[in-house]
Amino acid sequence: MTKSRKEIIGIKSVSKIYNLGNTVVKALDNVSLSIFENDFISIMGPSGSGKSTLMNIIGCLDVPTKGSYKFNDEKISQMKDSQLADIRNQKIGFVFQTFNLLPKLNALQNVEVPLVYSNLNRYKRTEKAKEALKIVGLSNRINHKPNELSGGQRQRVAIARALVNKPSIILADEPTGNLDSKSGSEILNFFDDLHKAGNTLIIVTHEKSVAKRAKRRIEIFDGKITLDE
Amino acid sequence: MNKLFKNISIGFESIKSNFTRVFLTSIGLTIGIFTVSIVTAAVSSIDKEFAKSIQSIGNDKIYVGRMPWSFEFDWWNYRNRPEIKEEQLEYINQYSEFITQSSMKQNYWTRASYENKASWLQMNGVYPNYGEMLTGTKVVNGRFFSENEWKLQRRVIIVGGSVREGFFEGKNPLGKKIRLGGVSFEIIGELEKTGSFTPTGSLDQVIIMPSTTFQRILTRWTWNEFVLQTSPDNINKAKEEVRLIMRVARKLKPEQEDNFAVNSADAFTKQFNQMKIAIAGMGLLVTGISLIVSGIGIMNVMFVSVRERTKEIGLRKAMGATNTDILIQFLSEAIAIAIIGGIAGIMLIRSTLYFLGTAIASFDFGGIEASSIDLQMDLLLTFYTFLVCVFLGLLAGFVPARTAANLNPIDALRHE
Repeated sequence: MTKSRKEIIGIKSVSKIYNLGNTVVKALDNVSLSIFENDFISIMGPSGSGKSTLMNIIGCLDVPTKGSYKFNDEKISQMKDSQLADIRNQKIGFVFQTFNLLPKLNALQNVEVPLVYSNLNRYKRTEKAKEALKIVGLSNRINHKPNELSGGQRQRVAIARALVNKPSIILADEPTGNLDSKSGSEILNFFDDLHKAGNTLIIVTHEKSVAKRAKRRIEIFDGKITLDE
Repeated sequence: MNKLFKNISIGFESIKSNFTRVFLTSIGLTIGIFTVSIVTAAVSSIDKEFAKSIQSIGNDKIYVGRMPWSFEFDWWNYRNRPEIKEEQLEYINQYSEFITQSSMKQNYWTRASYENKASWLQMNGVYPNYGEMLTGTKVVNGRFFSENEWKLQRRVIIVGGSVREGFFEGKNPLGKKIRLGGVSFEIIGELEKTGSFTPTGSLDQVIIMPSTTFQRILTRWTWNEFVLQTSPDNINKAKEEVRLIMRVARKLKPEQEDNFAVNSADAFTKQFNQMKIAIAGMGLLVTGISLIVSGIGIMNVMFVSVRERTKEIGLRKAMGATNTDILIQFLSEAIAIAIIGGIAGIMLIRSTLYFLGTAIASFDFGGIEASSIDLQMDLLLTFYTFLVCVFLGLLAGFVPARTAANLNPIDALRHE
């Protein structure tokens, strides 16, 4: 972990507190974390440990209660909804456990979804989406609807969608959770390739085998980071 | 702009996948649009017809007869009134300040025939100066009868505009002889075709002849009026004056009620406006109710749509959709539903008017031309319909769309 690499995410003493009636839940308790360019990180932890909350905050889906969060030197913690939406659109690619493809759209249209919100015209959208599908090796499946694709292929469409805006980081939440082991390892190999190509990846998982593939492992328990190696 | 259009098209896309639901929802609006258009069309055609009728009554004419022009027609009271007599007109001519011209007008419906064709027409026995008092029509072919013809009780007639078609297959009727109640009359003039309908009958179906001739041939079952001319500004004063003179002429005691009626176009207008307001009011009520109901229907469907697509909303937000993007998407969907209802409504009206049009054309309304009942349906009305739909869609879609826009992306993504 050389300091020469650019810091993409800087989280300093971040807490996230939920008030559920009378009980106060500290989902994140004074967490600090730096993520650098071309990191390949796995975040592990049991359910309720706060890893989803951390994920949401990194992904700009949520804002911390306390502490500061810098993304590419921009202060996220003070941003408005529309600015957060912009960051999510331009800088972050999400990959979900359940793929979250829109069933009525074909592969190409699904990949185009983030481009719609970056205000590109139709030709640019198609061009970029085709490019992204080529990277994940699905150029021959662009007109297929999600239900006409296998699980592994669906997840690859989802990855193409995450890649399409050339984001600063890719956040994958249990990307292999809904896949058989063969497709799962295919996807993980693919993540390796993405890392080699210079992308920054964060994978949230509860599987040790998946976490091992990462170059840097973070474990979280009760809202605190217990391991960072 | 790219984004805006795409948001709108995403909204429209979702219509396609739920078309049955959307269609059923929009039926309420279809009915609303249908009613409002029919009422508007009906009122405006009635209006047009009425304007024409008023024109043929004339805003400078006073009609004195036994019956008032009224929709509350008290027949049993009026039928026992004594007939309007010609000598009473002398009083008016002698004492009135405001009346500039006057004519007797005796009316009688009779069977007219030419060769093997026959029809019921309204005969009018009038004075020679009635030719100058014609309103809403004029002699376009031939001439009016002369003073001499009147004195000599000649059997000459001026025919209404529909007689040419009815009897002569569109050929010139001048010089032809038609039979009225068994007596032969020569046509010396023809009136312009008006297509209008007055309280005293259609001007296109009249046969005008000298009152002297009229009296010689027909003495029973006629009803008489005086047609009086004044200037439009003096009409109310003239009416009052004529009323007083008529009371004297008919030798009414002060405590006796009028046994005649002084009519003019404006009284008729009042009656008509009341009727128009009643029609329009009912139409608006029905329309209002159906618009509210369909608005609620659209809102309901939109809530269902938002609920069904919560996960999609979460995903789109994670992919960078702003609240505004989602708002526009769902508003477009609501507006599209409303517009579909509106288009269906317009198509329904179009086809109804089409069938109504052909039905009227094939049905003879006692000489009224079918074209005169053209229920109008123009571009402007379509445009207003469109506006109403957009507005209703916005109104009904706003709350559901805002609910969608304000969804928390994390919760929305987790939604199953």
